[in-house]
Amino acid sequence: MSPLLSVRDLSVRFTVHRSRSRRRVAAVTGASFDLAPGECLALVGESGCGKSVLASALLGLLPANATTTGNALLAPAPPAGDERALTADGTALENGRGLPTGPGDGPNLPTGADAGAGSGSSLPTDADTGAGSGPGLLTGVGAGAGSGPGLPTGADAGAGLEGGLDLLSAGERVLASRVRGRLVGLIPQSPAGHLTPVRTIRSQLAETIRELTGVSKADLGGAVLAAAERAAFPADHLDLHPHELSGGLAQRAATALALVGGAPLLLADEPTTGLDRDLVDRTVAELRGHVGTGRTLLMITHDLAAAEQIADRVAVMYAGRIVELTDAASFFGSPGPRHPYARRLLDALPTRAFAPIPGMPPELDALPSGCAFAPRCAAATPVCTTDLPLLENGVACHHPHTPIPHPGTDIPRLSDHPEFPADPAEPASEHPEKNDALHS
Amino acid sequence: MTPLQPEPGGRNPMRTRVSAGIVAVLALAVLSVPLFFPLDQQAVNLRETLLPPSWEHPFGTDGSGRDVLLRCVYGLRVSLFVGIVAAFGAALIGTAVGAAAGLLGGRTDRFVMRIVDTFSSVPHLMLGIFIIAMFRPGVWPVILSIGLTHWLSTTRIVRAEVLSLRGRPYVDAAVSGGASRIRVATRHLVPAVLPQAGLAAVLLVPHAVWHETALSFLGLGLPSHQASLGNMIQDSRGTLLAGDWWPTLFPGLFIIVPTLAIAGLAGAWRERLNPRRRSELML
Amino acid sequence: MPSTPEASGSAVQREKGPAPALELRSITAGYPGRPPVVRDVSLTVPAGESVALLGPSGCGKSTLARVAALLHRPDAGSVSLHGAPVTGWRYRAPRAQRTSIGFVFQQPRTAADPRLTLADLIAEPLRATRAVPRRDRAAADEHVRPLAASVGLTGDLLTRRPHEVSDGQLQRACLARALVLRPSLLICDEMTAMLDASTTATLVNAVESYRAETGAALLAIGHDRPLLTRWCARLVDYPALPVPASAGPRPPSLRETAHHH
Repeated sequence: MSPLLSVRDLSVRFTVHRSRSRRRVAAVTGASFDLAPGECLALVGESGCGKSVLASALLGLLPANATTTGNALLAPAPPAGDERALTADGTALENGRGLPTGPGDGPNLPTGADAGAGSGSSLPTDADTGAGSGPGLLTGVGAGAGSGPGLPTGADAGAGLEGGLDLLSAGERVLASRVRGRLVGLIPQSPAGHLTPVRTIRSQLAETIRELTGVSKADLGGAVLAAAERAAFPADHLDLHPHELSGGLAQRAATALALVGGAPLLLADEPTTGLDRDLVDRTVAELRGHVGTGRTLLMITHDLAAAEQIADRVAVMYAGRIVELTDAASFFGSPGPRHPYARRLLDALPTRAFAPIPGMPPELDALPSGCAFAPRCAAATPVCTTDLPLLENGVACHHPHTPIPHPGTDIPRLSDHPEFPADPAEPASEHPEKNDALHS
Repeated sequence: MTPLQPEPGGRNPMRTRVSAGIVAVLALAVLSVPLFFPLDQQAVNLRETLLPPSWEHPFGTDGSGRDVLLRCVYGLRVSLFVGIVAAFGAALIGTAVGAAAGLLGGRTDRFVMRIVDTFSSVPHLMLGIFIIAMFRPGVWPVILSIGLTHWLSTTRIVRAEVLSLRGRPYVDAAVSGGASRIRVATRHLVPAVLPQAGLAAVLLVPHAVWHETALSFLGLGLPSHQASLGNMIQDSRGTLLAGDWWPTLFPGLFIIVPTLAIAGLAGAWRERLNPRRRSELML
Repeated sequence: MPSTPEASGSAVQREKGPAPALELRSITAGYPGRPPVVRDVSLTVPAGESVALLGPSGCGKSTLARVAALLHRPDAGSVSLHGAPVTGWRYRAPRAQRTSIGFVFQQPRTAADPRLTLADLIAEPLRATRAVPRRDRAAADEHVRPLAASVGLTGDLLTRRPHEVSDGQLQRACLARALVLRPSLLICDEMTAMLDASTTATLVNAVESYRAETGAALLAIGHDRPLLTRWCARLVDYPALPVPASAGPRPPSLRETAHHH
């Protein structure tokens, strides 16, 4: 089955003027990943790693001093007749219900039944996905999408998305008239700043519905209620202005707006920043619910706890590159991250070791020629400072933790290092045939 | 506007370039032409009245046989001088008053703003005429009249800016770091409003130019023999009815084109001033 | 303002050894034209100890933090610092009292003057208090460099302006600024709410090593229970305010509370 979004070799460069000299800043370099319909990919990393830039690039919202290369093909419309999206190992993700229609399909008015279905009944729980993609499948569910992650060849990806729209080369007019709101819904970082302060939520929802769906005036009132209900925004708060809403309700209002156009792909840029922990939990659960109704979610976040709750897969960015792209259950659970940086990042959580990573990420305008993490990495060897590791089998590291046995690999293993003893129950070896299939 | 639309980038390099080109050419003309082509303000040539545009007189001649192009350049020179001096004078007054009101707040602020309201309630032109009436005709009374009537908008801008900055956490941080009221004002607030005040001054220039031409057109500005855009339009009103359009059109264009160009440049500047709340790299 | 300075330190001093670093008594505070956001709240931070104040966003704990940092005058109640009663707020607070508190804000972006380089930002309190001569860059650098290094800021980052660095880097600078006058009490208002795990751990480590070195007290305010549990010795839950039945427009947080619970 073809992916909904296929990003290949996405790079973003900024030209900035600093102390009277022009500099090229490599904000994102060679990012490649696929998003299967109905899945949630969390893009995590430290502030300044380029994850927000990546999101802005997909929406065409970069400032004028940015140049973008690569491509990001978005499926023209959700694959017809695809009632069940299959993950790599054959688990069915329910996404037939409430499958959003594409642009030009006329009014895409959520009926009452539709909205009802959206609130919970088809919500895949973490147990669901966790059980489906068992241990050992480190390359993640996206492998089933036809082009495995970490294969930035692009050839087969393009074949899967013939007629797809390249978000990176599309002009502003196409993005504004066809993409934003209709194909890609943006759930913003600060909903309060995203809403028009002088107008009520009802009027903003009504305007967006009119703009995106062309619903008749008579049906507008009902459509507003349905849209609010879909995002669990209480109807009795519709006539309030944004400043009268709490952070959680403002977030729901922004989510309601993002859902209006029936966009199959939702892009959430740090949706939980500044929210309380229980509001984070609720927001994440609600977003997860929308994924369950057939939407696909790309969530940009630095909040690892939120990512753990919502994501099917995790992409870790460091210094503008995706250094690990893997299944969320194995990333947060056992055997854990394989890239040393990702391991240290998890260890920085107050619920774990609470240990900061020494040093700072490198400057994006002066990246080293080798691995960007090498200067901070305890396991670095000379090869790390000279050779740039590429994303292979979901990890871009010369010494990944618990590497998958790979013919032709003669890199010293991390287990040789006293600091990183090898995991005795290495799950990768349990499924050699599966891994081979992925590598061939 | 749906919230899904991008932030207004708003940059328009073409407009900026055209504006800059026009301003550069006109500034060069205004500064260099008097060096090569002196103008006798009183001279008339009754044998060459109302000649249509030709190679010899690209903008034609007026009812007294004077070259319209040359007088346009001289007129613009005087208008720009008046406009720039008056606008910057007004901006200076406005910045000082607005900053004082915003910084001191309380009673001072209310008192100052009532004065501003009082001045605003009288039409500029009437107040300007009143001021001019106290002096003999000339350039400086016109500057004074425009400067004294146009500081109000800058006051409001600067005061509002200072008030909004005063509540910023970075001012709190300065207070917490032991800064005195004066240091907060001189180090954190006034420097932050200066670009806005400068922009207000530049935006006032076209306005002041129009005001000057309006006063001259009413016969209240510069002495009537002096080449001034307002005077030229006033002089040629009669000939327009006879179908001789050039003595009116060209001075009119000389008012409109430069002022639009200056406004265009000011617009580009305003876009650059947009406070960079977010990191430039969006990181 | 009904300030009650007589209700201060001496009594407390008799109970334990040193006076508490911060004592808030029955603070009621708010903004003109609105019902108070903080009502009758008392809080004590013993000298040298770390206290976390935990509460949902919008509950008024940031206002309480501003009162404690002498940045916002309360409508009622009293504050004392190391046993000394506070009689004035903002510019009216004696400079020594103001600068004995280091304050770190939630949003580094708004808490940094956009026109200062990070080095000047960190050195600003030194210059404002004339701890170093205002024109003497080298003297300021002597203070700034080691401090910046302790929060992980190095090299040319210090020559940049806020829009040229990331939120995490800017917050490091803001923490360094709060520490540059060596305060005896540090108040961190949601210091890490916008930051990633690694930067959070770095900043908390920097605060803790400063405290270990100087014995300063800490009031950390936030909503992240796992973080604050890990960070502070004592946890105080911010008292939940009752929903005022008769009050006009309710504060936003109360709407949320009213709706969901």
